[in-house]
Amino acid sequence: MSPRSSRIRNVFEPLDRSIVAKLWQERFGISEQAFSSCRFFRKANSIWAIGDVDLPALSYEAIGMRIISCKDRPWKPTTSALQVFGRYATKNAMNLNKQEAMIFLEGGSQVIESGCDAGYVVVFYRGDILGCGLYSHGKLISQLPKERRIEKHYQEQ
Amino acid sequence: MDHLDRYREIVPDYAAFRAVQCIPLYNSARINTLKIEPEKLLERLREEGVLFQSFEWYHLGLKLDAESPGKLLENLLGQIHIQEELSMVPPLVLDPQPGECVLDMCASPGSKTTQIAQMMQNKGLVIANEPSLARVAPLRSNCERLGVLNVAVTRYDGRNFPRGSFDRVLVDAPCSSEGRERRGPGVLARCSRERSLDLKALQVSLLKNALRLTRAGGVVVYSTCTYAPEENELVVQEAIGESGDSGAFRLEKVRIPGLKECPGITEWNGERLKDELSATARYYPHVNDTGGFYVAKIIKN
Repeated sequence: MSPRSSRIRNVFEPLDRSIVAKLWQERFGISEQAFSSCRFFRKANSIWAIGDVDLPALSYEAIGMRIISCKDRPWKPTTSALQVFGRYATKNAMNLNKQEAMIFLEGGSQVIESGCDAGYVVVFYRGDILGCGLYSHGKLISQLPKERRIEKHYQEQ
Repeated sequence: MDHLDRYREIVPDYAAFRAVQCIPLYNSARINTLKIEPEKLLERLREEGVLFQSFEWYHLGLKLDAESPGKLLENLLGQIHIQEELSMVPPLVLDPQPGECVLDMCASPGSKTTQIAQMMQNKGLVIANEPSLARVAPLRSNCERLGVLNVAVTRYDGRNFPRGSFDRVLVDAPCSSEGRERRGPGVLARCSRERSLDLKALQVSLLKNALRLTRAGGVVVYSTCTYAPEENELVVQEAIGESGDSGAFRLEKVRIPGLKECPGITEWNGERLKDELSATARYYPHVNDTGGFYVAKIIKN
């Protein structure tokens, strides 16, 4: 990779709200209104969201919350973003019972019957959003980052 | 522990101060109102059989009787944040308002940053500055887990943070951490007057730059978790001193209802300090059954 392209990859570039909102609308049925108080940036393979404020001219390491990873296809929502915006989802959301939730929190995979489309889903438990799951061939695969999983012994209680 | 003897003359009830150092500190957490209503959170904890006690002085602070509070589901979901009791004081003294522009100069791991973000109801902007790349990861991780959307992270050396006209700036400075002995026994073994004097040079530079970066009428809060006057009153005196007489800065009384503070000292090692330093606050571990902290609130006129 040339120094020039790597430099470009490390710059936060403003991104139109409508582009980001369209992604969430298509996958989760979330209306653009849910993002009305945010602005968006792209840096390398990630999309970031921050409140709708003017940023002072500084060199930034992070701007708000990383909400999307575009590294692979399809794009992947972060667990943090789903915990904030997932409550507006009108499709591809799943409610788990206690036992299923514990398996999910542990980082596991499980067979679950659901009307969700294959792909990433918002995972709920008792009204809380646990995070991002991947639904594929009738299986729900936890996408929780390692540091946000619960230890196994918790499940066995 | 003998290091503490140098504070014999300034700490009230010195014997109790010494005795409490050996008693481990309980775990504590802050309720994150960006993610959950306080009442709902307390109900959840009751349901799960987690023993807790709300702080008398802060309705969002909890003493937790749990072995690994970090493993609680509520923590993983960002509904609570594990945070030392007194670490919740500086943001309350800073008193940030929704919509303001705030700088947290020494931000990682982000306990105070996220408390500030929460007090601002996720509105406005918090610049969380942390020069160390290794320490940016926990800062970002905490912000994201807690659902914070009004924080941007920078990596300047705080002494050279370039520009700004902030409404409020928090300088929770690197310090010798004497007040953390109850949490991490052995801290005191690394403390000395020389180390405090080394840190003082850094702390003065950080605070001076913070005062420069604040708008007229803005607020700067300086805090440490240490007792050494070299890192506390002497830092504040030197940073505001040069212009103090002309009234460029003034100290406002630090007082949190329900939490007992001791006034900042006005004499050290026979040297007379500014009288107004008594407006700053010293928190001792045996007075409130906490760690130790120092907090100063400076207004830029």
